[in-house]
Order: sequence, then structure tokens, then C-alpha cells
Amino acid sequence: MSSVHLSDIRRTTSFRLAVLFLAVFGAAGAMLIGYLYWQTAGYLSSRVDAALAEQTARWSLFDAEKLLRELNGHTARDPASREPYGLFSATGRSVAGAIDNVRLVREFDRPFDFSLNGPDGKPQPLRGMAHVLDDGRVLLLTRDVSSVREFDELMVRAIASGAALILVMGLLGAVALGFGAKRRIDAITRSIERIVDGHLSERLPLGGSNDDVDHLAVLVNRMLGEIERLMGEVKGVCDDVAHDLRTPLTRLLAGLERAERGGLGVQEYSELIRNASEEARALLRTFRALLRVSEIENGARRAGFTTVDLSRVAADVVEFYEPVAEERQVTLSITAPAGPVWLQGDGQLLFEAVSNLVDNALKFTPTGGRVAVQASRSEDEVSLVVRDNGSGIPLDEREAVFRRFYRSEKSRHAPGNGLGLSLVAAVAKLHKLTVELHDAEPGCEVVMRGEA
Amino acid sequence: MSRVLIVEDDAVTSAEISAALREHGFAVEHVCDGRQGLLRAAAEEFEAIVLDRLLPGGLDGLGVLTAMRAAGVETPVLILSALSGVDERVRGLRAGGDDYLSKPFEAIELTARLDALLRRRARATTGSGQETRLRIGDLEMDLLKHSVTRGARSVDLLPREYALLEHLMQHAGEVVTRTMLFEAVWNYRYDERTNVIDVHISRLRRKVDAPGEAPLLHTVRGAGYVLRAPE
Repeated sequence: MSSVHLSDIRRTTSFRLAVLFLAVFGAAGAMLIGYLYWQTAGYLSSRVDAALAEQTARWSLFDAEKLLRELNGHTARDPASREPYGLFSATGRSVAGAIDNVRLVREFDRPFDFSLNGPDGKPQPLRGMAHVLDDGRVLLLTRDVSSVREFDELMVRAIASGAALILVMGLLGAVALGFGAKRRIDAITRSIERIVDGHLSERLPLGGSNDDVDHLAVLVNRMLGEIERLMGEVKGVCDDVAHDLRTPLTRLLAGLERAERGGLGVQEYSELIRNASEEARALLRTFRALLRVSEIENGARRAGFTTVDLSRVAADVVEFYEPVAEERQVTLSITAPAGPVWLQGDGQLLFEAVSNLVDNALKFTPTGGRVAVQASRSEDEVSLVVRDNGSGIPLDEREAVFRRFYRSEKSRHAPGNGLGLSLVAAVAKLHKLTVELHDAEPGCEVVMRGEA
Repeated sequence: MSRVLIVEDDAVTSAEISAALREHGFAVEHVCDGRQGLLRAAAEEFEAIVLDRLLPGGLDGLGVLTAMRAAGVETPVLILSALSGVDERVRGLRAGGDDYLSKPFEAIELTARLDALLRRRARATTGSGQETRLRIGDLEMDLLKHSVTRGARSVDLLPREYALLEHLMQHAGEVVTRTMLFEAVWNYRYDERTNVIDVHISRLRRKVDAPGEAPLLHTVRGAGYVLRAPE
């Protein structure tokens, strides 16, 4: 197996799709988490702000003495100055509380952030609110917001590491998908290359997951099957043609060579020429029949389809062959329903096909036998049956008789070119009819059947 | 002598056709492509044109035919084609062709069909063919009564035998090939299975030519049949 380069993976559709999904999913996730973060953090700080505002409003109503008492009480209860307060004179001098620097006050009646160095020397985040009292003094109240800040940081860290994890996992997934896709495409490419090299029996590999690529592969495999079948048929036909035309050509050549050697009388020459042209004519007829079979098989003739009465065609055939049957002393009969048996088709070709069947049946039915043609129709089906009580077709030859030039041992000496049933099969296929051979015990029964 | 124009690009085929037609008594002119064929057909007087369906260059057989008919040239045209489909034939006839013969064909089939075309034209121009009685020697057919007599003897025919005899009598003296008969009498067309027609003919012959009577229905070896009055 060839090694897979990362750059190859990067070009696969699966990888690109995975990355695209990663980007879309990442953006949506970022938006969701951002919104959650904004809402949560905002809620926490608004709680702090509300508490500050409430306390400021309450304390500014205290008289000077009570305020001082409360302040000192608070300072005493908070020796570590986690939430230091401050009271300043109108000139900015510290009056009470743990905060003695009035410059920390940035604005009045609105919460603001600042920090003080705590007892352990670390900066301590605080949120404060300052208010100018009635007597001109300035009151500064604070809240310890280190836990809010910590929560913020925790959340940001969690989001960042989560995002990093998703990114890594997503990319890994994309690479894995790309790798898998690349491997499948490579396998398919190798199969196709082998097919192009002429190994028509090769098929595209299936992933087994029944996904869209599998569906496509199954379809292509079906197409390959049909192509292989056709190629096989063409090859078979070529072989058959080569084989079957050799005999008459050899005979033709032998006659011509005899004429070439000379020394014959006029009578003999004209006999030779007549024989030669008879052979050539027979060859031409065979070729023409062969051409017709392939022409019909390629299906282009469906364009000329009209509504045809199958029972009318069958009656025409029977009428056409009636004298032949009489000459052979075979009873040729037809049964058909009262009305027409409509079929979309080519009357010409149907006539030819039914003729071939009747012709065959007459050929293989002994004197005193009978051949029955039956056209019938049911609600959703039309059928045509040609039945004889002749020698029948052995089971193992029933497939083969439809092959071009196939001639059973029995029929080898009967006139014909071995193309009759090939033509029947071709015409039937063109009309979407099935052809079955049955044993009529004794004799043979051919059934053509199709949708009405 | 009837002049026939052959429009055929294949040198060997055209030489064969020319030879066969000359032997049959036609004066033959030959061109190799559609353009020339169209020009000559329009400029000169021909009794019939043998036109190949597939021609090199921009103008193929059907094109020539369509252009010719559009230009008002009514010369009978027999189309030759390697394409044998029924659709092909219908298309050729629809474009204004008078008959259609698929390759490969036998020379006798071509000459017989050309003869038939020329006679049909002759009949059409003289306005004959409206008779109610056909007569060859002492064989007589009454088209109105659907009855046939030979001398004093009445000949009983089945409907198909009657149709067969009528066609032969309409074309008395002409060679009628098996495929032509099959086409005219059975209204189907195909090129094989000639022996079945032979059986029909021999049945007809038994009824028409009774023992002791001068034969009227003759077999033309390798070609077909002709109904001819005794010399």
C-alpha cells in the first residue's frame, strides 16, 4: 500500500468537510459560551453593585456619631482588611476606616474597581462606591470581589482549554476521516486502473457501510458487470462468426480453386460458378441476419414502436406458414382471445420473432404432429405461446439455444443459420418480454411474456 | 433506353451496380457525392436515381433527397443503405424516396425494384391501372367480383392466393422478387425466409397452371417470379 501524505489527506473531501464543520461548530460554541459567560459574570457583579448601593444609601442616613461607630466596628471586625472602608473629611483627610487614601476614590455614587495591597502583599481586587455625605465628608464602602474575579478567570481558562481540546480532537478527527477517505479512494483508483488495463472482471471495493460511496460503487459495479457481459458476448459472437463462416468459405474457396486448375467443360464451370454464388449468397444472408440481431439488440429501434395487436401478428404468421405446415402434414393452429392483444412494439420484428418460433417448431415436429400458437392477455400480462409435440429441447441446451449460431446435434443438418432464436431473444428483450422454454412432454413450448 | 443516375461513394459498389444495370439495359451515369448528385438530378432528365444513404461530405443521401424534392424533381429514387432498420426505411420513404434496399443486396433485387419503379411511374402518367379486369393469356381476374378464370375453368383461390395473383398480374411480365411479394401481399418486410413464399407460390401455381395448360407463372432462378403470357 502506498504511503499517505498529509498533504494528500488535506485535499480529501472528507477532511475539508470535517474542518468546515469544526469551524462552524467552533464558532457556534464560542458564541454560546461567550453569551453564558457574559450573563453569569454580569449577574455576579450586579449583585455586588446592588449590595454596595444599598449599604451606601443606608449608611448615609446615619448621623455622624453612629456612622463613626459603625465604621470602627466594621474595621475591628475585619482586622485583615478584606473589605476596607474609608471616611474622609471634606478636605480629603482620613477620619476613620482602614483606607486612608482619598485618591482611591475615582467617582461618586457609582461602583468602580480598584485594588489594594492586602496584608499578604498581594493586590486585592475590590469594588467600591463613594458618596459625599450631607456634611461634606466622603464615605467609601467596598466589597471584596476576589472570588468573582477568580470565577471569571476559572471560566475563561475552562473555555480556552475546552476550545483547544475541541480544536485538537476535531483536527484529529478530520485527519482520520481524510485518511479513511483517501485510503478508500486509493483502493477504488487502483481497481479502476486495473480495469483500464483490461481486467474487466475487477470490481470496485465496497466499504461495507452502505454509504453514498458504496452506493456509487455498487452502481459502477453493476455497470461493469453489464459491460463485461457485453464484451463476453461480443467475443463469443466473434468466435462463433469466425467458426461458422469458415465452413462455407472453405467450400467456396475449394470450388474456386477447382475452377482455377482448369481443364473443365463449360457445363462444369457454370455449375461451379452457380455453387460459388450460392455459397456467397448464403454467407451474405448470414451476415445480414447477424447484423439484424445486433441492430435489434442495441435497442435503438424502440423509437419506432407503435401499438401492435400481438394476436393479429400471430394470426398473420400462422396464415403465412399454413401451406408449409400442410406440406409437412403438421397441424398448425392458433387460439387467440376475442379482442386484440395490445402491445407497444414493432409489428415487423414481432412477426419475425414469431415466424422464427413457428418455423423452428415446424422443423422439429414429425409428420402428423401439431404446432399450436396461442396469444393471450390477462389484466396485466400479455403472452404468446408456441407449442409443438416434436422432439423438444434437452434441459441442458435450453440456455444455449439462444446463443448465436448455436445448433443442437439434432438440428445440425436441418436448414438454418443458427440465428433464429438469437433474434427471438433480441426482439423479446427489446419489447421487455421474457422468453422461457418449457418441456411440453413431449415437445417444446416457448413462452414469450410481458407486461400489458 | 432508360437513364439511371447512381449516387454512390464506394467505387467498387458503384462499379458493380453500374455493370448490373447496364446488363439489364439501363444507361448509367455515376457521381460520387451528394452535391454533384443533386446538381445532375436537377439539371438532367433521369428515369430513376439510385441513391446511397450514407455519402461523404456535408450532404448525405437524405439531404440530397429532401433538397431534390424541394426543388420539384420528381424522379423516382431508390435508396440504398447499409442501415437496415425499419426506422431508417421509414425515414427514407418519408423524405421522398420511392423504395429502399438495404446492403448487402443482390443485383437482381435492385433491377427488379428499379423496373417496378419505372413501370409504376409509367402507369401513373398514362393513367392506367384503373382496370376492373386483368388478363394474361387466358387467365382473367375480375377485380370487382373477386373471381378468377382460366379459359372456361373457374379458379378457386383463398384470399391470400388471390392477393398474390393480383399483385403478379398487376406486374405481369416483370420479375417480382420474393421480398417484393412479401412486402406487397403480406405487408411485412423482411429479407429472409424466402422458401415460405415459394410454398405459397407453388400452391398458387397448382391452381393457376393446371396440368396440360401452358404455364403462366414462371420461376426466375435466384430472383423471384414472373407471370407471363405464353409466347
